[in-house]
Amino acid sequence: MSQAFAGRRVLIVEDESLVAMLLETILEDMGCIPVGPAATVDEGLQMASGGEPVDAALLDVNVAGRQVFPVAQALKDRGVPFIFSTGYGEGGLPDEWRGQPTLQKPFTEAAVRDALMKAMGLADV
Amino acid sequence: MKELVKSGGLTVDLASAFDASPNPYVLLTPDLRIAGANQAYFDVTNSTRDAIIGRPLFSAFDSGPGSEAPENVRQVQASLERARDTRQRDHLPLVKFSMAKRLDDGSQAFEDRYWSATHTPMLDEAGEVVFILQHTTDITELQRLREGRVLSERASALDIMLGGAVLGRAEQVQEDNRRLEGERNRLIDMFMQAPGFVAVLTGPDHVFQMHNAAYAQLIGHRDITGKPIREALPEVVGQGYYEFLDSVYATGEPHEGRASLVQLQRSPGALLETVYLNFIYQPIRDASGAVVGIFVQGHDVTDAVRSTERQKLMIDELNHRVKNTLATVQSIAMQTARSHADPLTFAEGFQARLLALSHTHDLLTRSHWEGADLGDILQHETEAHGSHRVSVNGPRVGLAPAAALSLGMIFHELATNAAKYGALSAPDGRVLVDWSLADQTRPRLQLVWREIGGPAVSQPVRKGFGSRLIERSVRHDLAGEVELHYAGDGFAATFSIPLDREQGS
Repeated sequence: MSQAFAGRRVLIVEDESLVAMLLETILEDMGCIPVGPAATVDEGLQMASGGEPVDAALLDVNVAGRQVFPVAQALKDRGVPFIFSTGYGEGGLPDEWRGQPTLQKPFTEAAVRDALMKAMGLADV
Repeated sequence: MKELVKSGGLTVDLASAFDASPNPYVLLTPDLRIAGANQAYFDVTNSTRDAIIGRPLFSAFDSGPGSEAPENVRQVQASLERARDTRQRDHLPLVKFSMAKRLDDGSQAFEDRYWSATHTPMLDEAGEVVFILQHTTDITELQRLREGRVLSERASALDIMLGGAVLGRAEQVQEDNRRLEGERNRLIDMFMQAPGFVAVLTGPDHVFQMHNAAYAQLIGHRDITGKPIREALPEVVGQGYYEFLDSVYATGEPHEGRASLVQLQRSPGALLETVYLNFIYQPIRDASGAVVGIFVQGHDVTDAVRSTERQKLMIDELNHRVKNTLATVQSIAMQTARSHADPLTFAEGFQARLLALSHTHDLLTRSHWEGADLGDILQHETEAHGSHRVSVNGPRVGLAPAAALSLGMIFHELATNAAKYGALSAPDGRVLVDWSLADQTRPRLQLVWREIGGPAVSQPVRKGFGSRLIERSVRHDLAGEVELHYAGDGFAATFSIPLDREQGS
């Protein structure tokens, strides 16, 4: 198991609490510190652009009927790497966000770890 | 007559020459009334000036008996109208028109006569038709010669042959014309009534020459005939269609569009409306092969495009929900596995949670996923423990699908906990659930779950999945508050949940 994630703060934006809990569990197992989870775009935006330090983020694309892209933009502006999680896969993303690391729901622990590594530019040790 | 012969000093001479001509002439107004005629005309028609001047041509004379009579009248009328409408001279090489004849005994009989007629429009200075001159030649004798009914001594074989051939040709041409006119009319009728839209554009500016009812409906019944397309349909500028037409006209290559988006103004002052069309622009060529116009044909496929879009949206939404549900199930499995080392108890716990989720799905399906009633959800999630042991008391509260799913899981966890450690684990223990709605304008659900008659409970050392899920769901999914009380006389939970919040999927 990689130690690269130890102490990394990862923001979660996800409206389904059960899915958010799963992500938290996976992140904690990896040694990360989950931030949030945010249940709405507004809450996510507050966390993404606020003072709280964030090293990476996992963003559900469809959050309580709204699209998460304002949060993605705020993170991009801060230079924070992020991953989209969606039931649609990368094909469901609008053109401007294509190419971002994407997690397909439902996801495995390995898929979360690989996507985070790719997004954060970390090498598996 | 004055209009006809205004040329200076010759007035009188021309008028009398007209009257003196052995050829019958009749002058008609544009609405085909008799304006004047010469003596030869009165003679041949056995009529008088007073009897026919001012009357419509076709009511002035009886066209005679026989089934062909109406068709013969129609041919003459059509030729007159062509002359008037096209302002071009029109020839009718051969037409049969019976003439009334007064017999010696005073009775009236009809005599078949064959005519060749020329219709000449007479224009005023502004170019408008003021009269149509009909010049008729009686060719009955020629016709009879040809038919061989009268073999005059004077008629040579050559005369008969020539006359017969000429007449035969004339008759043939006339017959062809009649057939072609009929075909043309049938084709135009087919265009006009076709379910798809049809228009004929002429010239490099694409002037509307004709369009059918479906086309008129497409463009909101505007008056476009005779107008170039850029003037007739100005809102189409910038949508590429003028350019397609220009290209078809220039290259002679047809252009086809499939589910092509067009924005049209379908009523005056209205906003542009989006329609989708399947269409083809085909060049119309003259005898030399040069493009002279464009034939536009197609049909409106807006309904089909829209229903395909709706279907795609529904499939996307279904996929989204299924994937989210699978992620939820995955989470339940993983969290349950963490608290159950024994595969047997894991399977039991996992299945119970899946069923809790499934029960709420059933309730939502009954309402076509519009929502579910709080009391119904409570009943579903607790009935396995005996309905007499759980008393529920509160008003009807409609819950949105997301809130219904969350509360279903919450009640399942509470009931499972009560059966394992709380009031439902003791023979006489009971659960009381009471709720009310506070604040009518921004309704808020206040709910208390209270366990009585069970063993004493104390704060657990480590939070289990159940209590974590309850706290998380209330805060995260429902934007509400929850307090869990581990009191000595029984467990209690108090909920405060806003009901006016927009619920996502």
